[in-house]
Amino acid sequence: MRSGHLALSARGVQMQYRDRGTGKTLLAIENVDLDVPDGAFVSLLGPSGCGKSTFLKIVNGLLPATAGEIKLHRVAKGREDAMVFQDAALFPWYSVLDNVAYGLVCAGVSRGEARKRAVPFIDLVGLKGFDDKYPYQLSGGMQQRANLARALAVDSAILLMDEPFAALDAQTRELMQAELLRIWNAAKKTVLFVTHQIDEAVYLSDRVVVMAARPGKVIADIEIDLPRPRPLSVKRTPEFAVYEERIWRLIAGEYEHARVASQPDAAS
Amino acid sequence: MIAVRGAPAVQLLGRLRSSNERVFYGVFGFVGLTLAWEIAANTGLFRKSLLSSPSAIWKAGVIDIGAGTLWPHVGTSLEEFAIGFIVSVAIAIPLGLAIGWFRRIDYFLNGLLAALNATPNVALIPLIILVAGIGFESKVIVVFLSAFFAVVVTTFTGVQSIARRHLEITRSFGGSRWLAFRTVALPSTIPYILSGVRIGAGRALVGVVSAEFISANQGLGFYIGFFGTFLDTARVMLGIVLFGIFGVVLGELLRVVEHRFDVWRPELHR
Repeated sequence: MRSGHLALSARGVQMQYRDRGTGKTLLAIENVDLDVPDGAFVSLLGPSGCGKSTFLKIVNGLLPATAGEIKLHRVAKGREDAMVFQDAALFPWYSVLDNVAYGLVCAGVSRGEARKRAVPFIDLVGLKGFDDKYPYQLSGGMQQRANLARALAVDSAILLMDEPFAALDAQTRELMQAELLRIWNAAKKTVLFVTHQIDEAVYLSDRVVVMAARPGKVIADIEIDLPRPRPLSVKRTPEFAVYEERIWRLIAGEYEHARVASQPDAAS
Repeated sequence: MIAVRGAPAVQLLGRLRSSNERVFYGVFGFVGLTLAWEIAANTGLFRKSLLSSPSAIWKAGVIDIGAGTLWPHVGTSLEEFAIGFIVSVAIAIPLGLAIGWFRRIDYFLNGLLAALNATPNVALIPLIILVAGIGFESKVIVVFLSAFFAVVVTTFTGVQSIARRHLEITRSFGGSRWLAFRTVALPSTIPYILSGVRIGAGRALVGVVSAEFISANQGLGFYIGFFGTFLDTARVMLGIVLFGIFGVVLGELLRVVEHRFDVWRPELHR
Protein backbone atom coordinates (compact mmCIF):
# COMPACT_ATOMS: atom_id res chain seq x y z
CA MET A 1 0.00 0.00 0.00
CA ARG A 2 2.86 2.41 0.73
CA SER A 3 3.68 3.97 -2.60
CA GLY A 4 6.43 6.18 -1.24
CA HIS A 5 4.42 9.32 -1.97
CA LEU A 6 3.69 11.84 0.71
CA ALA A 7 -0.04 12.30 1.13
CA LEU A 8 0.62 15.45 3.14
CA SER A 9 3.67 17.62 3.52
CA ALA A 10 3.61 20.69 5.77
CA ARG A 11 6.51 23.10 6.15
CA GLY A 12 6.86 25.93 8.63
CA VAL A 13 3.14 26.26 9.28
CA GLN A 14 2.39 29.17 11.56
CA MET A 15 -0.85 30.58 12.85
CA GLN A 16 -1.19 33.95 14.51
CA TYR A 17 -4.33 35.63 15.67
CA ARG A 18 -5.25 38.80 17.45
CA ASP A 19 -6.88 38.39 20.82
CA ARG A 20 -10.06 40.48 20.61
CA GLY A 21 -9.98 41.28 24.31
CA THR A 22 -6.40 42.40 24.75
CA GLY A 23 -5.57 43.31 21.14
CA LYS A 24 -2.32 41.38 21.45
CA THR A 25 -1.06 39.09 18.72
CA LEU A 26 -0.90 35.49 19.89
CA LEU A 27 0.94 32.59 18.32
CA ALA A 28 -1.33 29.55 18.14
CA ILE A 29 0.98 27.40 16.04
CA GLU A 30 4.70 27.94 15.63
CA ASN A 31 6.64 26.50 12.74
CA VAL A 32 5.12 23.04 12.38
CA ASP A 33 6.67 20.59 9.90
CA LEU A 34 4.84 17.35 9.21
CA ASP A 35 5.05 14.61 6.62
CA VAL A 36 2.37 11.96 6.28
CA PRO A 37 3.27 9.12 3.89
CA ASP A 38 0.64 7.54 1.66
CA GLY A 39 -1.37 4.91 3.47
CA ALA A 40 -0.06 5.81 6.93
CA PHE A 41 -2.06 6.42 10.09
CA VAL A 42 -0.53 9.41 11.88
CA SER A 43 -1.86 10.98 15.06
CA LEU A 44 -1.40 14.51 16.30
CA LEU A 45 -1.45 14.28 20.07
CA GLY A 46 -1.46 17.16 22.49
CA PRO A 47 -3.32 18.98 25.25
CA SER A 48 -6.21 21.30 24.43
CA GLY A 49 -4.90 24.63 23.21
CA CYS A 50 -1.88 23.16 21.42
CA GLY A 51 -3.33 24.06 18.03
CA LYS A 52 -3.79 20.51 16.76
CA SER A 53 -7.35 21.10 15.62
CA THR A 54 -6.35 24.45 14.18
CA PHE A 55 -3.63 22.71 12.20
CA LEU A 56 -6.20 20.25 10.85
CA LYS A 57 -8.46 23.11 9.78
CA ILE A 58 -5.56 24.75 7.99
CA VAL A 59 -4.89 21.51 6.11
CA ASN A 60 -8.59 21.29 5.28
CA GLY A 61 -8.65 24.87 4.02
CA LEU A 62 -11.13 26.10 6.61
CA LEU A 63 -8.52 28.47 8.03
CA PRO A 64 -5.70 30.30 6.27
CA ALA A 65 -2.25 29.86 7.83
CA THR A 66 -0.35 33.07 8.47
CA ALA A 67 2.87 31.46 7.20
CA GLY A 68 4.13 28.18 5.84
CA GLU A 69 3.20 25.77 3.12
CA ILE A 70 0.88 22.76 2.90
CA LYS A 71 1.17 20.28 0.06
CA LEU A 72 -1.47 17.63 -0.44
CA HIS A 73 -0.91 14.80 -2.82
CA ARG A 74 -3.69 14.82 -5.34
CA VAL A 75 -5.32 11.62 -6.47
CA ALA A 76 -6.73 11.33 -9.96
CA LYS A 77 -10.32 11.90 -8.89
CA GLY A 78 -11.97 13.22 -5.77
CA ARG A 79 -10.79 15.71 -3.21
CA GLU A 80 -7.35 15.85 -1.65
CA ASP A 81 -8.72 15.71 1.84
CA ALA A 82 -11.93 15.07 3.75
CA MET A 83 -12.74 15.99 7.33
CA VAL A 84 -14.37 13.88 10.02
CA PHE A 85 -15.67 16.40 12.55
CA GLN A 86 -15.80 16.09 16.29
CA ASP A 87 -19.51 16.47 16.96
CA ALA A 88 -22.84 17.88 15.77
CA ALA A 89 -21.52 17.22 12.32
CA LEU A 90 -24.58 15.67 10.69
CA PHE A 91 -27.46 17.71 9.32
CA PRO A 92 -30.51 16.87 11.44
CA TRP A 93 -32.81 17.49 8.45
CA TYR A 94 -31.09 14.85 6.31
CA SER A 95 -31.36 11.08 6.54
CA VAL A 96 -28.20 9.03 7.00
CA LEU A 97 -28.13 8.42 3.25
CA ASP A 98 -28.35 12.12 2.38
CA ASN A 99 -25.79 13.04 5.03
CA VAL A 100 -23.30 10.50 3.71
CA ALA A 101 -23.98 11.63 0.13
CA TYR A 102 -23.49 15.30 1.06
CA GLY A 103 -19.73 15.44 0.52
CA LEU A 104 -20.26 14.21 -3.03
CA VAL A 105 -23.04 16.75 -3.58
CA CYS A 106 -20.58 19.45 -2.49
CA ALA A 107 -18.19 18.14 -5.13
CA GLY A 108 -20.86 18.72 -7.78
CA VAL A 109 -22.18 15.17 -8.08
CA SER A 110 -25.93 15.03 -8.72
CA ARG A 111 -28.08 14.05 -5.75
CA GLY A 112 -29.22 10.74 -7.25
CA GLU A 113 -25.72 9.70 -8.24
CA ALA A 114 -24.32 10.81 -4.85
CA ARG A 115 -26.90 8.66 -3.06
CA LYS A 116 -26.02 5.66 -5.18
CA ARG A 117 -22.32 6.10 -4.44
CA ALA A 118 -22.93 6.63 -0.71
CA VAL A 119 -24.54 3.24 -0.14
CA PRO A 120 -21.38 1.05 -0.08
CA PHE A 121 -19.79 3.41 2.46
CA ILE A 122 -22.84 3.19 4.72
CA ASP A 123 -22.39 -0.57 4.61
CA LEU A 124 -18.63 -0.29 5.20
CA VAL A 125 -19.03 1.68 8.43
CA GLY A 126 -21.64 -0.80 9.69
CA LEU A 127 -24.80 1.27 9.20
CA LYS A 128 -26.48 -1.05 6.71
CA GLY A 129 -30.25 -0.71 7.07
CA PHE A 130 -30.03 2.74 8.68
CA ASP A 131 -30.04 4.68 5.39
CA ASP A 132 -33.33 6.43 5.99
CA LYS A 133 -32.92 7.12 9.71
CA TYR A 134 -32.45 10.69 10.91
CA PRO A 135 -29.51 11.67 13.13
CA TYR A 136 -31.64 12.00 16.27
CA GLN A 137 -32.56 8.33 15.87
CA LEU A 138 -28.89 7.28 16.06
CA SER A 139 -26.60 6.82 19.05
CA GLY A 140 -23.46 8.96 19.32
CA GLY A 141 -21.31 6.13 18.00
CA MET A 142 -23.60 5.58 15.01
CA GLN A 143 -23.60 9.29 14.24
CA GLN A 144 -19.81 9.24 14.10
CA ARG A 145 -19.95 6.20 11.80
CA ALA A 146 -22.10 8.26 9.42
CA ASN A 147 -19.72 11.20 9.81
CA LEU A 148 -16.87 8.89 8.83
CA ALA A 149 -18.81 7.41 5.90
CA ARG A 150 -19.41 10.90 4.48
CA ALA A 151 -15.68 11.62 4.51
CA LEU A 152 -14.85 8.20 3.02
CA ALA A 153 -17.41 8.61 0.23
CA VAL A 154 -15.65 11.58 -1.38
CA ASP A 155 -12.67 9.29 -2.02
CA SER A 156 -10.00 11.71 -0.84
CA ALA A 157 -6.28 11.05 -0.64
CA ILE A 158 -6.21 11.80 3.08
CA LEU A 159 -8.75 11.61 5.86
CA LEU A 160 -8.55 14.33 8.52
CA MET A 161 -10.10 13.30 11.80
CA ASP A 162 -10.69 15.92 14.49
CA GLU A 163 -11.13 14.10 17.82
CA PRO A 164 -14.03 12.13 16.32
CA PHE A 165 -14.60 9.97 19.39
CA ALA A 166 -14.11 12.62 22.08
CA ALA A 167 -17.81 12.94 22.84
CA LEU A 168 -18.44 9.19 23.13
CA ASP A 169 -18.53 7.20 26.35
CA ALA A 170 -15.41 5.16 27.14
CA GLN A 171 -16.72 1.78 25.98
CA THR A 172 -18.19 3.07 22.73
CA ARG A 173 -14.95 4.93 22.11
CA GLU A 174 -12.87 1.73 22.39
CA LEU A 175 -15.24 -0.08 20.08
CA MET A 176 -15.08 2.75 17.55
CA GLN A 177 -11.28 2.75 17.68
CA ALA A 178 -11.23 -0.93 16.71
CA GLU A 179 -13.87 -0.25 14.04
CA LEU A 180 -11.80 2.61 12.66
CA LEU A 181 -8.80 0.31 12.21
CA ARG A 182 -10.97 -2.25 10.44
CA ILE A 183 -12.38 0.44 8.11
CA TRP A 184 -8.95 2.00 7.58
CA ASN A 185 -7.63 -1.39 6.56
CA ALA A 186 -10.57 -2.02 4.23
CA ALA A 187 -10.60 1.46 2.66
CA LYS A 188 -6.80 1.78 2.34
CA LYS A 189 -6.79 5.41 3.44
CA THR A 190 -4.18 7.79 4.72
CA VAL A 191 -5.30 9.23 8.05
CA LEU A 192 -4.25 12.27 10.06
CA PHE A 193 -5.95 11.85 13.42
CA VAL A 194 -6.14 14.53 16.09
CA THR A 195 -6.63 13.48 19.71
CA HIS A 196 -5.71 14.38 23.28
CA GLN A 197 -5.85 10.76 24.45
CA ILE A 198 -2.53 8.95 24.63
CA ASP A 199 -3.92 5.40 24.48
CA GLU A 200 -6.09 6.28 21.49
CA ALA A 201 -3.12 7.68 19.59
CA VAL A 202 -0.84 4.73 20.37
CA TYR A 203 -3.50 2.13 19.59
CA LEU A 204 -4.43 3.57 16.20
CA SER A 205 -1.24 4.97 14.77
CA ASP A 206 1.88 4.13 12.84
CA ARG A 207 3.31 7.38 14.16
CA VAL A 208 2.36 9.68 17.00
CA VAL A 209 3.35 13.32 16.62
CA VAL A 210 3.35 14.92 20.08
CA MET A 211 2.56 18.62 20.34
CA ALA A 212 2.98 21.12 23.17
CA ALA A 213 0.87 24.21 23.80
CA ARG A 214 1.48 27.96 23.89
CA PRO A 215 2.64 28.20 21.23
CA GLY A 216 1.65 24.94 19.55
CA LYS A 217 4.70 23.11 18.30
CA VAL A 218 5.88 19.57 17.61
CA ILE A 219 8.02 18.17 20.43
CA ALA A 220 8.33 14.52 19.40
CA ASP A 221 7.58 12.14 16.54
CA ILE A 222 7.33 8.54 17.70
CA GLU A 223 7.05 5.41 15.55
CA ILE A 224 4.61 2.90 17.03
CA ASP A 225 6.03 -0.48 16.22
CA LEU A 226 3.16 -2.69 17.30
CA PRO A 227 2.07 -5.50 14.94
CA ARG A 228 -1.11 -5.16 12.90
CA PRO A 229 -3.90 -6.07 12.87
CA ARG A 230 -4.27 -4.82 16.42
CA PRO A 231 -7.03 -6.28 18.53
CA LEU A 232 -8.15 -4.11 21.46
CA SER A 233 -6.24 -6.49 23.77
CA VAL A 234 -3.02 -4.85 22.49
CA LYS A 235 -3.81 -2.09 24.96
CA ARG A 236 -3.18 -4.50 27.84
CA THR A 237 0.33 -5.53 26.66
CA PRO A 238 3.60 -4.32 28.24
CA GLU A 239 4.83 -2.96 24.88
CA PHE A 240 1.75 -0.75 24.67
CA ALA A 241 2.29 0.46 28.23
CA VAL A 242 5.88 1.41 27.40
CA TYR A 243 4.70 3.67 24.55
CA GLU A 244 2.03 5.23 26.76
CA GLU A 245 4.54 5.85 29.53
CA ARG A 246 7.06 7.41 27.17
CA ILE A 247 4.54 9.81 25.65
CA TRP A 248 3.06 10.63 29.05
CA ARG A 249 6.54 11.60 30.29
CA LEU A 250 7.02 13.88 27.30
CA ILE A 251 3.75 15.66 27.90
CA ALA A 252 4.19 15.83 31.67
CA GLY A 253 7.72 17.17 31.22
CA GLU A 254 6.47 19.84 28.86
CA TYR A 255 3.73 20.76 31.31
CA GLU A 256 6.29 21.13 34.15
CA HIS A 257 8.45 23.21 31.87
CA ALA A 258 5.59 25.52 30.96
CA ARG A 259 4.50 25.84 34.57
CA VAL A 260 7.92 26.95 35.71
CA ALA A 261 8.43 29.24 32.74
CA SER A 262 5.22 31.21 33.04
CA GLN A 263 2.73 32.55 35.53
CA PRO A 264 1.05 29.81 37.57
CA ASP A 265 -2.38 30.62 36.20
CA ALA A 266 -1.24 30.69 32.58
CA ALA A 267 -0.28 27.03 32.56
CA SER A 268 -3.70 25.68 33.43
CA MET B 1 -54.13 -13.59 32.13
CA ILE B 2 -56.04 -10.57 30.94
CA ALA B 3 -56.67 -7.77 33.37
CA VAL B 4 -60.15 -6.31 33.12
CA ARG B 5 -60.49 -2.77 34.30
CA GLY B 6 -63.84 -1.06 34.70
CA ALA B 7 -67.24 -1.66 33.13
CA PRO B 8 -67.55 -2.02 29.31
CA ALA B 9 -68.95 1.50 28.89
CA VAL B 10 -66.06 2.98 30.85
CA GLN B 11 -63.67 0.86 28.80
CA LEU B 12 -65.18 2.19 25.58
CA LEU B 13 -64.85 5.74 26.82
CA GLY B 14 -61.30 5.01 27.84
CA ARG B 15 -60.45 3.56 24.44
CA LEU B 16 -62.01 6.57 22.74
CA ARG B 17 -59.91 8.83 24.90
CA SER B 18 -56.61 7.11 24.29
CA SER B 19 -57.24 6.72 20.54
CA ASN B 20 -57.28 10.48 20.13
CA GLU B 21 -56.82 12.30 23.39
CA ARG B 22 -56.51 15.72 21.78
CA VAL B 23 -59.88 15.51 20.03
CA PHE B 24 -61.57 13.83 22.99
CA TYR B 25 -60.66 16.48 25.55
CA GLY B 26 -61.14 19.25 23.00
CA VAL B 27 -64.76 18.28 22.23
CA PHE B 28 -65.41 17.56 25.90
CA GLY B 29 -64.21 21.02 26.96
CA PHE B 30 -66.06 22.85 24.19
CA VAL B 31 -69.40 21.15 24.77
CA GLY B 32 -69.07 21.45 28.55
CA LEU B 33 -68.32 25.17 28.55
CA THR B 34 -71.08 25.94 26.03
CA LEU B 35 -73.60 24.09 28.19
CA ALA B 36 -72.40 25.90 31.32
CA TRP B 37 -72.81 29.26 29.54
CA GLU B 38 -76.34 28.40 28.37
CA ILE B 39 -77.39 27.26 31.85
CA ALA B 40 -75.85 30.30 33.52
CA ALA B 41 -77.61 32.65 31.09
CA ASN B 42 -81.01 31.00 31.61
CA THR B 43 -80.77 30.83 35.40
CA GLY B 44 -80.14 34.57 35.51
CA LEU B 45 -76.55 34.40 36.73
CA PHE B 46 -75.82 37.43 34.51
CA ARG B 47 -77.90 39.66 32.28
CA LYS B 48 -78.68 37.95 28.98
CA SER B 49 -78.65 41.27 27.17
CA LEU B 50 -74.97 41.78 28.04
CA LEU B 51 -73.42 38.36 27.51
CA SER B 52 -76.10 36.71 25.36
CA SER B 53 -76.35 32.92 25.33
CA PRO B 54 -75.35 30.10 22.94
CA SER B 55 -78.97 29.54 21.89
CA ALA B 56 -79.51 33.24 21.16
CA ILE B 57 -76.30 33.35 19.11
CA TRP B 58 -77.41 30.26 17.22
CA LYS B 59 -80.80 31.87 16.45
CA ALA B 60 -79.18 35.09 15.26
CA GLY B 61 -76.86 33.05 13.04
CA VAL B 62 -79.73 31.05 11.50
CA ILE B 63 -81.69 34.25 10.78
CA ASP B 64 -78.78 36.17 9.24
CA ILE B 65 -77.55 33.25 7.18
CA GLY B 66 -81.10 32.63 5.98
CA ALA B 67 -81.49 36.28 4.98
CA GLY B 68 -78.08 36.27 3.29
CA THR B 69 -76.89 39.25 5.33
CA LEU B 70 -73.98 37.49 7.08
CA TRP B 71 -71.94 36.00 4.24
CA PRO B 72 -70.96 39.26 2.52
CA HIS B 73 -69.33 40.38 5.77
CA VAL B 74 -67.53 37.07 6.27
CA GLY B 75 -66.47 36.99 2.62
CA THR B 76 -65.09 40.52 2.73
CA SER B 77 -63.01 39.84 5.84
CA LEU B 78 -61.74 36.53 4.47
CA GLU B 79 -60.73 38.13 1.20
CA GLU B 80 -58.96 41.02 2.90
CA PHE B 81 -57.14 38.58 5.11
CA ALA B 82 -56.21 36.09 2.41
CA ILE B 83 -54.85 38.60 -0.10
CA GLY B 84 -52.97 40.69 2.50
CA PHE B 85 -51.53 37.69 4.30
CA ILE B 86 -50.43 35.68 1.27
CA VAL B 87 -48.76 38.66 -0.40
CA SER B 88 -47.15 39.58 2.92
CA VAL B 89 -45.65 36.13 3.51
CA ALA B 90 -44.58 35.80 -0.11
CA ILE B 91 -42.50 38.97 0.16
CA ALA B 92 -41.44 38.71 3.81
CA ILE B 93 -39.84 35.24 3.62
CA PRO B 94 -37.45 35.97 0.73
CA LEU B 95 -36.60 39.36 2.25
CA GLY B 96 -35.92 37.77 5.65
CA LEU B 97 -33.71 35.14 4.04
CA ALA B 98 -31.76 37.80 2.13
CA ILE B 99 -31.27 39.91 5.26
CA GLY B 100 -30.08 36.86 7.21
CA TRP B 101 -27.74 35.63 4.51
CA PHE B 102 -26.17 38.89 3.30
CA ARG B 103 -24.54 40.87 6.06
CA ARG B 104 -24.73 44.22 4.22
CA ILE B 105 -28.48 43.99 3.61
CA ASP B 106 -28.79 43.23 7.32
CA TYR B 107 -26.81 46.36 8.30
CA PHE B 108 -28.88 48.40 5.89
CA LEU B 109 -32.36 47.32 7.04
CA ASN B 110 -32.00 45.85 10.52
CA GLY B 111 -32.60 48.98 12.60
CA LEU B 112 -35.56 50.09 10.53
CA LEU B 113 -37.23 46.68 10.63
CA ALA B 114 -36.66 46.24 14.35
CA ALA B 115 -38.33 49.60 14.98
CA LEU B 116 -41.27 48.83 12.69
CA ASN B 117 -41.69 45.40 14.23
CA ALA B 118 -41.82 46.95 17.69
CA THR B 119 -44.43 49.54 16.64
CA PRO B 120 -47.99 48.33 17.31
CA ASN B 121 -49.41 48.08 13.81
CA VAL B 122 -52.77 49.36 14.98
CA ALA B 123 -51.10 52.74 15.37
CA LEU B 124 -50.63 52.87 11.61
CA ILE B 125 -54.28 52.26 10.73
CA PRO B 126 -55.50 55.89 10.80
CA LEU B 127 -52.64 56.88 8.50
CA ILE B 128 -53.32 53.98 6.13
CA ILE B 129 -57.00 54.87 5.94
CA LEU B 130 -56.04 58.46 5.21
CA VAL B 131 -53.85 57.32 2.33
CA ALA B 132 -55.79 54.34 0.96
CA GLY B 133 -59.36 55.16 1.91
CA ILE B 134 -61.88 53.23 3.98
CA GLY B 135 -62.44 50.46 1.43
CA PHE B 136 -61.02 47.07 0.66
CA GLU B 137 -57.49 48.28 -0.23
CA SER B 138 -56.75 49.87 3.12
CA LYS B 139 -57.70 46.63 4.94
CA VAL B 140 -55.44 44.59 2.69
CA ILE B 141 -52.60 46.98 3.42
CA VAL B 142 -53.20 46.75 7.17
CA VAL B 143 -53.21 42.92 7.01
CA PHE B 144 -50.07 42.97 4.86
CA LEU B 145 -48.18 45.19 7.32
CA SER B 146 -49.47 43.38 10.41
CA ALA B 147 -48.00 40.06 9.28
CA PHE B 148 -44.99 41.39 7.40
CA PHE B 149 -42.55 42.44 10.13
CA ALA B 150 -43.09 39.39 12.33
CA VAL B 151 -42.32 37.10 9.39
CA VAL B 152 -39.28 39.09 8.24
CA VAL B 153 -37.78 39.35 11.71
CA THR B 154 -38.24 35.69 12.67
CA THR B 155 -36.93 34.57 9.27
CA PHE B 156 -33.71 36.55 9.41
CA THR B 157 -33.22 35.65 13.06
CA GLY B 158 -33.52 32.02 11.95
CA VAL B 159 -30.89 32.40 9.25
CA GLN B 160 -28.57 34.10 11.71
CA SER B 161 -29.02 31.26 14.22
CA ILE B 162 -27.66 28.58 11.88
CA ALA B 163 -25.10 26.39 13.67
CA ARG B 164 -21.64 27.51 12.51
CA ARG B 165 -20.54 23.90 12.45
CA HIS B 166 -23.17 23.15 9.81
CA LEU B 167 -21.91 25.90 7.52
CA GLU B 168 -18.37 24.66 8.10
CA ILE B 169 -19.30 21.23 6.73
CA THR B 170 -20.31 22.59 3.32
CA ARG B 171 -17.14 24.67 3.18
CA SER B 172 -15.00 21.75 4.31
CA PHE B 173 -16.23 19.60 1.43
CA GLY B 174 -15.77 22.40 -1.07
CA GLY B 175 -19.45 23.22 -1.56
CA SER B 176 -20.43 26.65 -2.87
CA ARG B 177 -22.11 29.36 -0.82
CA TRP B 178 -25.26 28.92 -2.89
CA LEU B 179 -25.25 25.21 -2.03
CA ALA B 180 -24.82 26.10 1.65
CA PHE B 181 -27.83 28.40 1.36
CA ARG B 182 -30.05 25.74 -0.19
CA THR B 183 -28.91 22.77 1.87
CA VAL B 184 -28.10 24.37 5.22
CA ALA B 185 -29.63 27.82 5.62
CA LEU B 186 -33.05 27.00 4.19
CA PRO B 187 -33.81 23.76 6.10
CA SER B 188 -32.48 25.04 9.41
CA THR B 189 -34.52 28.25 9.06
CA ILE B 190 -37.83 26.53 8.28
CA PRO B 191 -38.88 26.12 11.94
CA TYR B 192 -38.29 29.86 12.44
CA ILE B 193 -40.20 30.75 9.28
CA LEU B 194 -43.15 28.63 10.36
CA SER B 195 -43.36 30.25 13.77
CA GLY B 196 -43.03 33.64 12.08
CA VAL B 197 -45.95 32.77 9.80
CA ARG B 198 -47.95 31.65 12.83
CA ILE B 199 -47.29 34.92 14.71
CA GLY B 200 -47.93 36.87 11.52
CA ALA B 201 -51.30 35.16 10.97
CA GLY B 202 -52.40 36.12 14.47
CA ARG B 203 -51.36 39.73 13.98
CA ALA B 204 -53.01 39.87 10.56
CA LEU B 205 -56.28 38.73 12.08
CA VAL B 206 -56.02 41.47 14.69
CA GLY B 207 -55.29 43.83 11.80
CA VAL B 208 -58.52 42.92 9.95
CA VAL B 209 -60.71 43.40 13.00
CA SER B 210 -59.04 46.66 14.06
CA ALA B 211 -59.20 48.21 10.61
CA GLU B 212 -62.85 47.25 10.17
CA PHE B 213 -63.69 48.66 13.60
CA ILE B 214 -62.10 51.99 12.85
CA SER B 215 -63.79 52.57 9.55
CA ALA B 216 -65.48 50.27 7.10
CA ASN B 217 -68.84 49.56 5.56
CA GLN B 218 -68.48 45.83 5.28
CA GLY B 219 -66.67 42.97 6.97
CA LEU B 220 -67.02 40.94 10.10
CA GLY B 221 -65.30 43.58 12.24
CA PHE B 222 -67.80 46.15 10.92
CA TYR B 223 -70.64 43.68 11.68
CA ILE B 224 -69.51 43.37 15.28
CA GLY B 225 -69.11 47.12 15.73
CA PHE B 226 -72.39 47.92 14.02
CA PHE B 227 -74.54 45.58 16.13
CA GLY B 228 -72.63 46.60 19.23
CA THR B 229 -74.05 50.11 18.90
CA PHE B 230 -77.56 48.58 18.87
CA LEU B 231 -76.84 46.45 21.95
CA ASP B 232 -77.52 43.34 19.83
CA THR B 233 -75.08 41.22 21.82
CA ALA B 234 -76.12 37.95 20.15
CA ARG B 235 -74.84 39.26 16.81
CA VAL B 236 -71.75 40.77 18.41
CA MET B 237 -71.04 37.37 19.91
CA LEU B 238 -71.77 35.67 16.59
CA GLY B 239 -69.07 37.80 14.96
CA ILE B 240 -66.63 36.97 17.73
CA VAL B 241 -67.41 33.25 17.45
CA LEU B 242 -66.88 33.35 13.68
CA PHE B 243 -63.50 35.05 14.15
CA GLY B 244 -62.69 32.39 16.73
CA ILE B 245 -63.60 29.58 14.35
CA PHE B 246 -61.55 31.21 11.63
CA GLY B 247 -58.58 31.46 13.98
CA VAL B 248 -58.83 27.79 14.90
CA VAL B 249 -59.16 26.63 11.27
CA LEU B 250 -56.17 28.79 10.32
CA GLY B 251 -54.16 27.34 13.19
CA GLU B 252 -54.98 23.79 12.10
CA LEU B 253 -54.00 24.55 8.49
CA LEU B 254 -50.65 25.88 9.71
CA ARG B 255 -50.24 22.78 11.85
CA VAL B 256 -50.64 20.60 8.74
CA VAL B 257 -47.94 22.63 6.99
CA GLU B 258 -45.66 22.37 10.03
CA HIS B 259 -46.11 18.58 10.18
CA ARG B 260 -44.61 18.28 6.73
CA PHE B 261 -41.33 19.59 8.12
CA ASP B 262 -41.40 17.76 11.43
CA VAL B 263 -39.74 14.48 10.48
CA TRP B 264 -36.22 15.44 11.49
CA ARG B 265 -36.99 17.50 14.59
CA PRO B 266 -36.25 15.28 17.57
CA GLU B 267 -37.94 17.53 20.14
CA LEU B 268 -41.27 16.75 18.49
CA HIS B 269 -40.88 12.98 18.69
CA ARG B 270 -41.00 12.36 22.37
